[in-house]
Amino acid sequence: MTSIPEYVIETYGLTKVYRSGGGAVVAVDKLDFTVEKSSIFGLLGPNGAGKTTLLMMLTGLTLPTNGSGRVLGYDIVRESREIRRRVGFLPEGFGFYEHLTAEQNLEYIAALNDIPKPERRKRIEDILSLVGLYEVKNRRVSSFSRGMKQRLGIAQALIKDPELLLLDEPTAGLDPEGSRAFKDLVLKLNSEGRTIVLSTHLLFEVGPLCSSIAIMNRGRIVVQGRVKDLISKLMSEVGYKIYVEVRGDLGKLASALTGMEGVRGVRIGVDSLYVDSTRDIRVDIVKIASDMKVEISSIRVEEPSLEDLFIRYYRGEASNA
Amino acid sequence: MPSVYTVASREFSDIIHSKRFIILVAVFSIVFMVGMASIYLTVLSMAQGLGIAMPTGFLGRAASIIASSMSYFAPIVGIALGCDAISGEREKGTLKTILAQPIYRDTFITGKFIAAILAVSIAVSIASLVNVGGSIVILGVTPTSEDIARLALFIVFSILYAISYYGIAILLSTIARRTTQSVIVSVTLWAIFTFAIPIIASLVAYMYRPITGIEIIQRPGGNVTIRRPSPEEMQRIIEQTRARATITEAINSITPNYHFTKIIQYILGFMQGGLNQSLSIYQGLVSAWPNILVLVLVACITLIASYMVFIRQEAR
Ligand SMILES: Nc1ncnc2c1ncn2[C@@H]1O[C@H](COP(=O)(O)OP(=O)(O)OP(=O)(O)O)[C@@H](O)[C@H]1O
Ligand SMILES: [Mg+2]
Repeated sequence: MTSIPEYVIETYGLTKVYRSGGGAVVAVDKLDFTVEKSSIFGLLGPNGAGKTTLLMMLTGLTLPTNGSGRVLGYDIVRESREIRRRVGFLPEGFGFYEHLTAEQNLEYIAALNDIPKPERRKRIEDILSLVGLYEVKNRRVSSFSRGMKQRLGIAQALIKDPELLLLDEPTAGLDPEGSRAFKDLVLKLNSEGRTIVLSTHLLFEVGPLCSSIAIMNRGRIVVQGRVKDLISKLMSEVGYKIYVEVRGDLGKLASALTGMEGVRGVRIGVDSLYVDSTRDIRVDIVKIASDMKVEISSIRVEEPSLEDLFIRYYRGEASNA
Repeated sequence: MPSVYTVASREFSDIIHSKRFIILVAVFSIVFMVGMASIYLTVLSMAQGLGIAMPTGFLGRAASIIASSMSYFAPIVGIALGCDAISGEREKGTLKTILAQPIYRDTFITGKFIAAILAVSIAVSIASLVNVGGSIVILGVTPTSEDIARLALFIVFSILYAISYYGIAILLSTIARRTTQSVIVSVTLWAIFTFAIPIIASLVAYMYRPITGIEIIQRPGGNVTIRRPSPEEMQRIIEQTRARATITEAINSITPNYHFTKIIQYILGFMQGGLNQSLSIYQGLVSAWPNILVLVLVACITLIASYMVFIRQEAR
């Protein structure tokens, strides 16, 4: 990867302090962060981390207390309207006019986006089918379930044919099927070259979808980067857990491995060994085993999951605090 | 700006299809009209019984009915439309959805204001026409063409009056976190302006300028006589009465209600207690000018204040 990444979002020392009554809450704390073009970016963090505040600052729904930022090259304070013209935003706690139908609501949003009238109808119908609401387009939103409203929210963000989508808790209220359909939709939109930023505190919902993530806690980004890079970094830090299935003398192989450089521990199971190592020593294990005439039926490294990442960095931050 | 039109037309269609609006216009204009008319008819028959001369002509008879019914209707329509204009959208989450679109925040408020002016105009016109029609039927007097011109102006200023209350209500709705708060505050404010301030004004005037010199003497046997004041005393009493009126008016003039009442007195050509037909329409407008200006200012200032609060506000 030698190409210089192009950023659709960049922030510099972005800060938001909410003042209510006597107290002040630092919701976003001197944040420097970037989102690469055409990525699926997961903004992960526990409740109150500042994810919503960050997304609202990026779209001009709330003003930063300090610092600056650019979205698609536009300044988030001075050119927020240009940003909202090009960025589909699903805000947290959004709503629709309940007495209007799904179609009428989108019609209104389309008008606010200056989409020419002749184009509107077709675009609205296409998007309604995309989110699976075409059949109910003439029903009032008041009769919609939470998941249906959520899909309408996503439809609303798509109306302007955005190159960047900012979705705050997009899977809230979706059932497993809806959630899967949402993931397919995200992949489809991403394959068209759109950048998608998803904020969530539910790691498993969207985490596996993301090519890059940032873990936020207490207004700061604890760690950010491509998921692949983060995982190999984590592996080099926490070590490799190698699982070996063996037919033959387990004990002999185990004692041979114990003395090896980098091996921190070997545990013997039923027809299997767990090796905890600071390096990837799979090749060495296979070699030693074949020298000892011990047959290995399988060998693999247990990769740390996103969850391991999350727990490690989240805990790390918590213990630093 | 096309988005102002977009916001205004959606808002307008929302208002005129809302139950609240339909009920207000239908029930209020009819019930109030009937109520006022029956009070007037009672007064009329009592006056005839006592041999007191009553004003004549359509406006002479109907003006007080129409004006007093409007003096309640217009503020209530304004408050009903304005009290949840912003807080309601905030509570329903539609505000966030809209602010995520490429519009400026002032566009949102301007659109609402325009829609409110249209809806209020419809409400006030319907209510006025019902009142005028009802008065024609009940009183059996037909308006002259000058009466009609005066009534048209009356409708215009009633709309202005309703909008000034709408402005107060939308400002409160922008500031308030919840619609219930803005409803309570705007209704309370209306009640203070309508009922409390006039009473307070009289009390203050009485405290600062008690009228002295009139002695009511009650003799044994129940006979009451008033001692006739000397000419100097008489002069003082007149001055004191004037001073009291000045204080009362000064205090009342902090309310939009006072200015509306003034305008209507000049335009419909009646003054408290009797008819003032000496003023032509033009003279009436000239005399009412400062009061008209006050209502326009109330509407403009509340609109600008709403912008300023709304633009700085967190959208959550
Ligand atoms: N209007 C406000 N006034 C005061 N404090 C606020 C306001 N909005 C948010 N906060 C505070 O800012 C912090 C960050 O909130 P934010 O909603 O951005 O977090 P989040 O990461 O989106 O959380 P969640 O996962 O619960 O949605 C929290 O401590 C919250 O209490
Ligand atoms: Mg949030």
